[in-house]
Amino acid sequence: MEDYKFLFKVVLVGNAGVGKTCLVRRFTQGLFPPGQGATIGVDFMIKTVEVDGEKVKLQIWDTAGQERFRSITQSYYRSAHALILVYDISCQPTFDCLPDWLREIEEYANNKVLRILVGNKTDREDREIPRHIGEDFAQRHGMYFLETSAKEAENVERLFMEIAVELMEQAKCKELPKYDGSLGPINGKTTSVGDSSCCLRS
Amino acid sequence: MVPLRKILHRACFIISRTVYMTCCCGCCSALRPRYKRLVDNIFPASPQDGLVKSNMEKLTFYSLSSPEKLDRIGEYLFQKASRDIYRRRHGFVIIAMEAMDQLLVACHSQTLNLFVESFLKMVQKLLESTDPQLQILATQSFVRFANIEEDTPSYHRRYDFFVSKFSAMCHSNHIDKSTGDKIRLAGIQGLQGVIRKTVSDDLVENIWEAQHMDKIVPSLLYNMQSAEKYETVSCMDSAVGAEAPARLAEACLRELVGRASFGHIRSVLRPVLTHFDRHELWIPNEFAVHTFKIIMFSVQAQYSYSVVEALMQHLDGAGPGAGDARARTRLRAARATVLSNIVAIAAGDSVGPSVLEIINNLLTNLRASVARDSEKESDEKLYQEALINALGEFADHLPDFQKIDIMMFIVNKVPSAPRGKGTRADSMLQSILLKSLLKVGTTYRTAELSKAFPAAFLEALLRVGSGAEPAARALLQRILHTLLDRRANAPRLTRPTLEYAELGLTVEKCSRQDLIFISKHGYALFGSLYDGLQLESNTMENIEAIYTTVALICIELGSEETVGDMLQLVLAIQQSGISNPVLSVAQQCQLQGVAISLAVLVPHVCTVPRLAEYLNKIIEARREEAPHMLPPLMESYDDLTSSKLPAKLPYLMMDQMALCECVKASGLDTARLAAPSPYSAGSVAAPHRHSWLEAGAAQGRDSLADITAGPPTELDSANSSPGVTRAACGSESAHLEAWRRAAGGPSEAERRDLQRRRATLNSAFRTAPFDHLKHITAPKYEIQDKLEEIFNSITEEPLLPMSGSCSPAGQKSYQQNVPPYTKYFPELFLY
Ligand SMILES: Nc1nc2c(ncn2[C@@H]2O[C@H](COP(=O)(O)OP(=O)(O)OP(=O)(O)O)[C@@H](O)[C@H]2O)c(=O)[nH]1
Ligand SMILES: [Mg+2]
Repeated sequence: MEDYKFLFKVVLVGNAGVGKTCLVRRFTQGLFPPGQGATIGVDFMIKTVEVDGEKVKLQIWDTAGQERFRSITQSYYRSAHALILVYDISCQPTFDCLPDWLREIEEYANNKVLRILVGNKTDREDREIPRHIGEDFAQRHGMYFLETSAKEAENVERLFMEIAVELMEQAKCKELPKYDGSLGPINGKTTSVGDSSCCLRS
Repeated sequence: MVPLRKILHRACFIISRTVYMTCCCGCCSALRPRYKRLVDNIFPASPQDGLVKSNMEKLTFYSLSSPEKLDRIGEYLFQKASRDIYRRRHGFVIIAMEAMDQLLVACHSQTLNLFVESFLKMVQKLLESTDPQLQILATQSFVRFANIEEDTPSYHRRYDFFVSKFSAMCHSNHIDKSTGDKIRLAGIQGLQGVIRKTVSDDLVENIWEAQHMDKIVPSLLYNMQSAEKYETVSCMDSAVGAEAPARLAEACLRELVGRASFGHIRSVLRPVLTHFDRHELWIPNEFAVHTFKIIMFSVQAQYSYSVVEALMQHLDGAGPGAGDARARTRLRAARATVLSNIVAIAAGDSVGPSVLEIINNLLTNLRASVARDSEKESDEKLYQEALINALGEFADHLPDFQKIDIMMFIVNKVPSAPRGKGTRADSMLQSILLKSLLKVGTTYRTAELSKAFPAAFLEALLRVGSGAEPAARALLQRILHTLLDRRANAPRLTRPTLEYAELGLTVEKCSRQDLIFISKHGYALFGSLYDGLQLESNTMENIEAIYTTVALICIELGSEETVGDMLQLVLAIQQSGISNPVLSVAQQCQLQGVAISLAVLVPHVCTVPRLAEYLNKIIEARREEAPHMLPPLMESYDDLTSSKLPAKLPYLMMDQMALCECVKASGLDTARLAAPSPYSAGSVAAPHRHSWLEAGAAQGRDSLADITAGPPTELDSANSSPGVTRAACGSESAHLEAWRRAAGGPSEAERRDLQRRRATLNSAFRTAPFDHLKHITAPKYEIQDKLEEIFNSITEEPLLPMSGSCSPAGQKSYQQNVPPYTKYFPELFLY
């Protein structure tokens, strides 16, 4: 039902294999997909959540981490309201690449975009990046920080909910940047509620 | 205006919304508005039964008669479908979409706008679902919509989501391959729809913006590259195989490129280049060649140059592994190969400035490569080869007159450092440019030598040849070969020989134009070739190459008039082989072999029977006593005793007097053969001559054959004064006259006039005292150009009198020698 009050676009980025797709599927479908293959290009998911009794639709663009798709994935940054930058806490190189990612974000995304740093796979025993290291990095670069496990469903719901809350607050303060095309009638940031439940087909 | 319209529209939208919201609060079915009942009725009890056709007709009829209700009908259908998607009742969703499709088609275009909002919301809703079937269905509806022409543009409508989503679909990685293919196909179709919908009107949505192109282009390429094999055709039969993602993506790319205007070409090309970099598709470059050919085939002809230009500018662009110098070079070479594959397609459509810009750009890249070159870097060599090939490919597809311009252009870029003084980079650049020149030269089909060698070009060539290293000098000779050799004799004349009869040479009588050419340039040519033989640094390759050049001149320009000059050159070569102190023994012997071989060629080309006999005697004697003075040439003549040195065997030499006798016996003029040699022995010792043309004039020997200029009146041609507007011919100064001539060729009277002039001219050569001839030929260029122009004007009538040109006189006279269409390319002559 097209009864959401807000529409936000969320884009996930980060090295290949850090668990972006698993995070999205855990959140949208409530499952941890076994043998999740690498994302090709870009994937798209949608989920409507409720914040303070208001419906918020999240358009989630899950990008491929592979280097070769970088040019197409970058083209999705521009209209994002929130960017989730994911690394794998059990894989140092994925953390080391963060500055490169930030540079890309700097270059291609709107400068008011909400940026969240996520250390994924907390369920793993072989942690390489201590929590505080990630936290420090996030703080230094003005990002929100969260550690998650797509596998154990830890903090995943919270991650997206906090984004929705934050973006909604911004929107209410009219801070939300107006993106070209993001708020047109088609994309439906519409306040019309319509007849919701009464006129069921007999 | 636009924002105002937008606001108005929004306002209407909100008002209609409000009205609608107030009236739909009542929920009892009895009170429900008619349109809702009509909509409800189109749905069957069970989705398997499909749309209720008769009720659908009623709904259609209703919406046609009350179009103001369309907005609400659409909204209501959308809400029902949203609910069904939520409840996963996909059968009903499909029916709702079908109903919307039918309404869309039935709508009158004026009322369409009211309905499109909800229609597109519906499409988006379906695209958002995870069900492939719904996504595909939505795409089909979207495509149907995209093909409808709306007459009121909707400025507020955005396609951002559709481009994003369709692009994502193009990359579908569905576990089931065939489902994945279907989703990809749908994605491509969707993109095609967006393009069609928006391309014609930038106000609606500027599809060419980077945010869209960066999604669309890589999505298409990604599908194209997944094809099993790449078949490149110039024009695609869209009906065949469009069910494969690769084929459809290709068709879509063609359409996109074909619709791109000049300003948009770059918007398409930039993501193409980036995609090839990212996906490392340059090496191997099969797909790159395929793609760029497709782009060249589909781009509007007048912009094909932009594609070439973009690729050229990208030659040096960073790519994956940019840190590694070798990888970079390989990448560059691969890109240059792609370039060489497409440049020919551009050649046909390129005009003046762009032609030279392409050439200039290629040369600049070559120069940069030479500057980088680290001697044994073989990848850099590959890159240079690829660039040179590109140059050749490009030139090959240009008309011949442009090839000459290009060769002029290249030759003027060749650095000519004084012998031995140039840097290594200079000499490498020199040899690379000469290779390029050769490449272009081989694509040129010489008809008239005067056209192949405009004075300035010839002079530049000879200048370069005199200041180069041995390898470069040999290259230069090869350039001369390819331009001189009209009858494919060159391969048979690579080495000196005495057995010409066995070679199967093609010899034809030399034309009048050719005679004029040799009369003008013979001395310069011969003098330069002679000098070329006097160099200490000559290898056997150099000497043989010069032999080939002289032999070709002899065949191409052989005539009674030139026999004396040929023989005089032969004698000079023979003499230098004895007296030039810098030459090694081997070089001395080689020159003897060259001299006798060239002498023997003369009676083969002209009938001089006594000469053949005389030469035979000398050959016989040499066979006995001095086979080292006969061809074939050898690298070394080590076991030669000092008594066998050519200088010690004067009686085995061709004798000037004897040659004169032989020639005289055939009734030919021997005046100049008998005269003292114009060739200075060992020019190495003498100060370097700047120009053979000037040198010739200084010696009063400007003409080899007995043809020079006409009566003095011919001299006062206006083209000797710079900047003066000159009518192509006195009699055609009036435009009207010129047009008539262009239409009908020269009039009978003019033709007679020309003939008469030619006759006077010839008699002037024969009768005028030498001093007079010398006097009248003093301003050489003008005279020659005038002459040439007279003869040219027989075959080519300028369409219009030349317009006043502000270029310097030298260039001006050159300009007048070339066909009139070159005046569209004044830039060509500024270099
Ligand atoms: N233990 C553990 N494994 C995870 C977790 N999340 C993802 N994985 C695993 O990590 C691998 C990669 O996950 P994906 O979600 O495909 O990674 P991605 O970031 O989407 O990768 P690309 O699409 O290539 O960019 C898979 O084998 C997952 O099973 C997690 O929270 N814990
Ligand atoms: Mg993924």
